[in-house]
Amino acid sequence: MAENSKIEIKIEELERICGETAAKIPPGSTDQWEIFAARSLENEIDVFNGGIETLSFSDSTGIGIRVFKDGSIGYAYTAVLEEDAIRDTVKKALDNSKITKKDKLNYLPTKKDHKYNKNQVDKKLLFDRGYLEVSITEKIEMAKELETLTKKADRRVSGVTNVMYSDGISEVAILNSNGFSDSYNTTMALVYVNAISRKDGDASTGDYFGIARNPSDIGLAEIAAKAAERSVSVLGGKKINSQSLDIVLDPMVAAQFMAVIASTLNADSVQKGKSLFKNSTGKKIFDIEADIFDDGTLPGGLASRPFDGEGVIKGKTAVFEKGILKTYLYDAYTARKDKTLSTGNATRASYRSTPSVGTSNFYIRPGSHTPEDIIRSVSKGFYVMDIIGLGSGTNPISGQMSVGAKGLLIEKGKLSSPVKEVTIATDILSFLKSFKMIGSDLKFVPAGGYLGSPTVLVENISISGK
Amino acid sequence: MIEKDTALKVLGTLNSGGASFSEIYIQKSISNSLKLEDSRVENSNSGYDMGCGLRVWIGDSTYYAYVDSIEEKKLIEAAKILSAAGKSSTTGKIFDLNRDLRQAPSAYKANILKKPSITGAIEKKDILMAVDRVCREYDKHIIQVTVSLSDIEEKVYTANSYGEESFQEVVKVFLSVNAVARKDSDMRTGYKSLAKTGGYEAVSISKACGIAEEASRIAVAMLDAVDAPMGSLPVVIGPAFGGVIFHEACGHGLEADSVIKDASVFKGEEGKKIASDIVTAIDDPSMPNHWGSFKFDGEGYPSSPVTLIKEGVLESFIYDMRASKKLEKERTSNGRRQSFRHIPIPRMTNTYIARGNEKPEDLIKSVKKGIFAKEFAGGQVDPATGDFVFGISEGYIIESGKLGKPIKGATLIGNGPDILKKIEAIADDLDFAPGFCGKQGQSIANEVGQPTIKVSEITVGGTGGK
Repeated sequence: MAENSKIEIKIEELERICGETAAKIPPGSTDQWEIFAARSLENEIDVFNGGIETLSFSDSTGIGIRVFKDGSIGYAYTAVLEEDAIRDTVKKALDNSKITKKDKLNYLPTKKDHKYNKNQVDKKLLFDRGYLEVSITEKIEMAKELETLTKKADRRVSGVTNVMYSDGISEVAILNSNGFSDSYNTTMALVYVNAISRKDGDASTGDYFGIARNPSDIGLAEIAAKAAERSVSVLGGKKINSQSLDIVLDPMVAAQFMAVIASTLNADSVQKGKSLFKNSTGKKIFDIEADIFDDGTLPGGLASRPFDGEGVIKGKTAVFEKGILKTYLYDAYTARKDKTLSTGNATRASYRSTPSVGTSNFYIRPGSHTPEDIIRSVSKGFYVMDIIGLGSGTNPISGQMSVGAKGLLIEKGKLSSPVKEVTIATDILSFLKSFKMIGSDLKFVPAGGYLGSPTVLVENISISGK
Repeated sequence: MIEKDTALKVLGTLNSGGASFSEIYIQKSISNSLKLEDSRVENSNSGYDMGCGLRVWIGDSTYYAYVDSIEEKKLIEAAKILSAAGKSSTTGKIFDLNRDLRQAPSAYKANILKKPSITGAIEKKDILMAVDRVCREYDKHIIQVTVSLSDIEEKVYTANSYGEESFQEVVKVFLSVNAVARKDSDMRTGYKSLAKTGGYEAVSISKACGIAEEASRIAVAMLDAVDAPMGSLPVVIGPAFGGVIFHEACGHGLEADSVIKDASVFKGEEGKKIASDIVTAIDDPSMPNHWGSFKFDGEGYPSSPVTLIKEGVLESFIYDMRASKKLEKERTSNGRRQSFRHIPIPRMTNTYIARGNEKPEDLIKSVKKGIFAKEFAGGQVDPATGDFVFGISEGYIIESGKLGKPIKGATLIGNGPDILKKIEAIADDLDFAPGFCGKQGQSIANEVGQPTIKVSEITVGGTGGK
């Protein structure tokens, strides 16, 4: 929460920490090593009834050490950067390498592992200097204003259960014994509001958010209006009879399903026999010509980075092209196993964890239909505005999907009565096969990666209700 | 962990800005995690964390910061920034800290025999290997086994401006098994976990092999699963993990922060009947060695049980310090936090429905056409509306009082206040299951529990027709 004029950029310090840590690795004790240093500065402001409910801030740095010895990997991390603690952490990493399985494919990435050879990300675009111009007072005011705007957006809105402003700076440096040494930093600001509306004993919630590299680029009025609309439009919702219907997924809903799809395309899961897309590259999975990308270089993409969690250059990977599965997502190890190249998808949740395969900006290419066109094309259907239980209701290994849903009925191409307390259920393969139309309104959500989808029409899905 | 003088100095600095309350939370932890997949230990990771969370109340606002250090100089520095945050807004009275901090007595007692630090890496590896062997020997259809084992040993100290002080040593061990079975193109999973607040004595090889067998049994049984039914049906919910229904349908709505924000369907219901007469529910962090147990909560309050519902009547919400003050209620030991990096909020601990009188088999016999839900994949709730879901990972059709075919995973959806009144019968086979619960970005150890219960009707999110 330091006033912004006082915020220090610590990239150089991280690079220094990497170097000093490397110097503490006893010569000859490893074949290869990698130091990952990360700093995160975070502010979070929660507002309730016009006042600050909670204001928290933090600025912390930690390192993760990965060592390779005789084909085994060991890992350890520390948030305590004192000399003894670092020495201890090096020792722990070495100890850990003694119990993990040897594998001749376990070694640090080299240029030979890279699928993409040229960095296409302008580091300057990841760090918006404008972030530094916004004071903490202004950030508090943003949260307060969002609360006020949301309450005023519709007379049925009775309150706001949650309004939050959060932002931060994230800085990363990697140094490894192959001579890789690079770093970058990013800024990010997120606002979120959850509105509750009431009428005749029924209550309904609706949320929305805005995200940008610079808080000044977030438009509060639209967020307030959307949250209020998502709340009041399902007010008085009723359970409907169980039946099969065409469903139209709102972009926020469709984007969440992208996370399930992405997890089945992770090369690690595929190689371990845990993906239903094993041996499926080259096969047509969608009926329509859908394209899905994992793009670590997308301008404006919050998950864009110059290199991945083990220093491999990021690029734009077409995972599905014209409905055909083209490739899985790889880090260096899984790529070697499949005799291919790393797509730059080694991700790290933080310095606390080893790199593993994950997504960057993962999205479905928008089509030409407006959301209104799509709704108009449906004679009887269900417009899904929110889902609940994605984590407990989908199983990426078996492919089963069953989640709670609320939204509006579609009758003769028009949105009609609100629906709640129903489920939508299918399996991943049938789900993708049933995509019929893709909208033009691409929207990203920050949900374990940066996932994007436009409005989509999916045919003939089981709705369970009464 | 720090000198009493230092604690008092930091609290004094925190209070200097006119705070009505100040607190320090110091945590030092060593954690280890191992992961096995493809019959080999892939990952062995260790980490070292140490730091202090600082909290003040100024007016109605909470200000929070943390530092990755317990050095007096750094704590004072952070305390100064924090106390300055509210300086402009209010001038409260400065507390007299010229008194001794006193340790509150806690009745919690549990023996820890085998700490992680004296348990060798090889011994831990043997647990993973044994689990893998048991799973693979269980049935030829088992094609993949993922085993995760993690442990943590930590020391926690709290002190606040009321003169309260606490210290505890916490040891936790968590083991989970995910078995994947495959027949033709069908893949099914079986998941089981074993987790205790205590040492490795609770996670012996024989106990680990027990859950390995159970996970394999589920995965293999589900290979024959038929589509789950659709529509509203009577459901018998199995013991232990079945308690997730109460956790979602009611527990979260009883967390007093939701009540303060008018975002709980149970607001204003104290003393009123909210569930059928046979329902008594308890939250108890003082049960020795249970996964959600502790000596002191995240605010240094001694652990003790609270009766949430007695014979259908709502007895108490669950509180942290702030909520109990705001609502002028007696505090409960439910102020919990993930770590020193997080503010405490009201959370469940070990939450369960108390034992009834009936026999589990009689509950199944009483159902003409419905389902038996035996194992679960978790759940989610919107506390403001009470709408909740939970996912079944092992279930069976009940026909004419007899268990029939297994059904594919499906989500069950309902409304909390409605479902609580539909609990028709409770058996005598109370059991518990450990897991993690996420709220406001904080993941904490939680246990759910219940005997077998029968719900007269709930919507089952299948695809198999009525």
